[in-house]
Amino acid sequence: MNKKAYYGQFGGQYVAESLMNTLQELDQAYEEAIHDPEFMKQYHYYLKQYVGRETPLYYAERLSAKYGTKIYLKREDLNHTGAHKINNVIGQILLAKRMGKTKVIAETGAGQHGVATATGAALFDMECTVYMGKEDIQRQKLNVMRMEMLGAKVVSVESGSNTLKDATNEAIRTWAKTAEDTFYIIGSAVGPYPYPKMVKEFQSVISREAKRQHMEAEGKNPDVVMACVGGGSNSIGMFADFIDEPEVELIGVEAAGLGIETGKHASAMALGEPGVLHGMRSYLLQDTDGNIQLAHSISAGLDYPGVGPEHAYLRDTGRAKYVAITDVEAMDALMELCKLEGIIPAIESAHAVAYAFKKAKEMTMDQSMIICLSGRGDKDVNTIADYLDGKGYLN
Amino acid sequence: MNRIETALQALQEKKEKAFITYITAGLPDYDKTKAIIKAQEAAGTDIIELGIPFSDPVADGPVIQAASYEAILGGANLEKTFTCMKEMRDDGVQIPIVFMMYYNTVLHYGVEKFVKECNACGVDGLIIPDLPLEEQEELQTQLQKEDGTILIQLVSPVSKDRVPKILKNARGFVYCVSSMGVTGQEATFHRQILEYLTAVKKEAKIPVMMGFGIRTAEDVRPMKEIIDGAIVGSHFITLMREHGFDPQAAADYCSTFKKELNEM
Repeated sequence: MNKKAYYGQFGGQYVAESLMNTLQELDQAYEEAIHDPEFMKQYHYYLKQYVGRETPLYYAERLSAKYGTKIYLKREDLNHTGAHKINNVIGQILLAKRMGKTKVIAETGAGQHGVATATGAALFDMECTVYMGKEDIQRQKLNVMRMEMLGAKVVSVESGSNTLKDATNEAIRTWAKTAEDTFYIIGSAVGPYPYPKMVKEFQSVISREAKRQHMEAEGKNPDVVMACVGGGSNSIGMFADFIDEPEVELIGVEAAGLGIETGKHASAMALGEPGVLHGMRSYLLQDTDGNIQLAHSISAGLDYPGVGPEHAYLRDTGRAKYVAITDVEAMDALMELCKLEGIIPAIESAHAVAYAFKKAKEMTMDQSMIICLSGRGDKDVNTIADYLDGKGYLN
Repeated sequence: MNRIETALQALQEKKEKAFITYITAGLPDYDKTKAIIKAQEAAGTDIIELGIPFSDPVADGPVIQAASYEAILGGANLEKTFTCMKEMRDDGVQIPIVFMMYYNTVLHYGVEKFVKECNACGVDGLIIPDLPLEEQEELQTQLQKEDGTILIQLVSPVSKDRVPKILKNARGFVYCVSSMGVTGQEATFHRQILEYLTAVKKEAKIPVMMGFGIRTAEDVRPMKEIIDGAIVGSHFITLMREHGFDPQAAADYCSTFKKELNEM
């Protein structure tokens, strides 16, 4: 067992033998890169000049007044391409180039990571293929078009349930075949080591900025930091610099879909059992035979049956708390944020906002919280419209 | 001695090459699975790989993915496959049988309980493509408590410097994956296949089998001096589908392949 690949009992490298040397090379190249000041300079240059960082830490006045505590929003929705996903893509794609790879592949569910990867591939002149479930292609046509405009090839995955987990399987299969010239850009804090570590590093810019910004505004650390959790990339980035600050309460918000008790949810931490999927050992939604169950959430970005291994570890050690918010609660919070602050959040991010409203009830005006607003809601307008029309929704 | 090791030793004494097939358990149902295995035993197949269907088979190509998915829809699972094994062994089936499965199925069942059940039901070996050497300790600890079921090691064309450590305590046979990627890629072997197989053969103290993408004995002619046997998976499933899972078709294919393999 390679101990550094683990977070407690979670993580590891559960991949085919043919990928073991690839992962070893990747880990080595990554470690060299992040300790190379030139590489990090380049990474931060693109984050500033291309992505538009730093993002504001916005004090939400009207929400704070209504809920009786100081609510700050970390505005990842203002990044180029509309979400935090691009932070990680820029880091991984620079690493891919440094390793001499000419092609990149990615999996995508709702299409946000696919769009971010296609964007990075256009910027750095890499050939890009995005794997997307047939079902998701149908319900996320706009993002498919975006990826194609950016020059990426979108491959429809028709196996198993035709969704994100199957797209991920197909990306892993392709990677196993083509690792010699192809870099697999994983979009969430999941996958075999060193991916969870890399994604955390490239997303930790969120908490590095937020910590300093909050200190400037309040002269202390926040009392609570929260973020939504699908695979867990924006949340691990939001938690990263606060993990060693014991006075800061960390809360991850999963999707409870129609309700945990209905079985139609995406909360791997609520009822999940440890297992192995997509190269990692972590909490997973499974049926009685140990097959992976389909996740359900109105938010396609949280619609994943597993969770990153470091989150599983943070949960078991009690350092972070994980809760779940239903579709209805998330949509109510989304509408409230629109009306009170003039911000249309992604449905994913609205889950964190919804829990923040609950949490605020036990807090005072002397205290403060940061919510990671991981993405903007433009991509969700159709889903929101269908939901408001009472037509239900596609996801 | 383990059934796999006994059978392979007998083949070596006769200077014969081994022929191994893969079939997904419970496809289309367990009666067919049993009938096909029995027919193959009679036709001279040396080892059977029995696939335990899993929802996310990342090491498999489209044929085995579809087989796995269908078997799950038909109700196949690990528990029923254990029962099927027990019934076959009670019926006097002696052919070595290896479970080909994904690690989550083992974890979900419970590693200790799983190993006990494998030994009780006459499962001779395990092939777990998402369990590389570095992650095997938990399972090996349980396997080594009994002199029974063994874990088969896989090597790939890019394993290179990993080969010696993988083979160090390997038992049964070495499964040489013929190409990068997944099962069933139609005889497009790795461009350095012969160098790779030669290197593995030189290091291995146990028989070396090649699998992935093989359809006929002719496909392995170029490496016949190096390998000790061939494994057919996806093609065998396709063939079974074409023949409505007829045990006689399985027997015909296996006896022909085995004969051609040893006459080359």
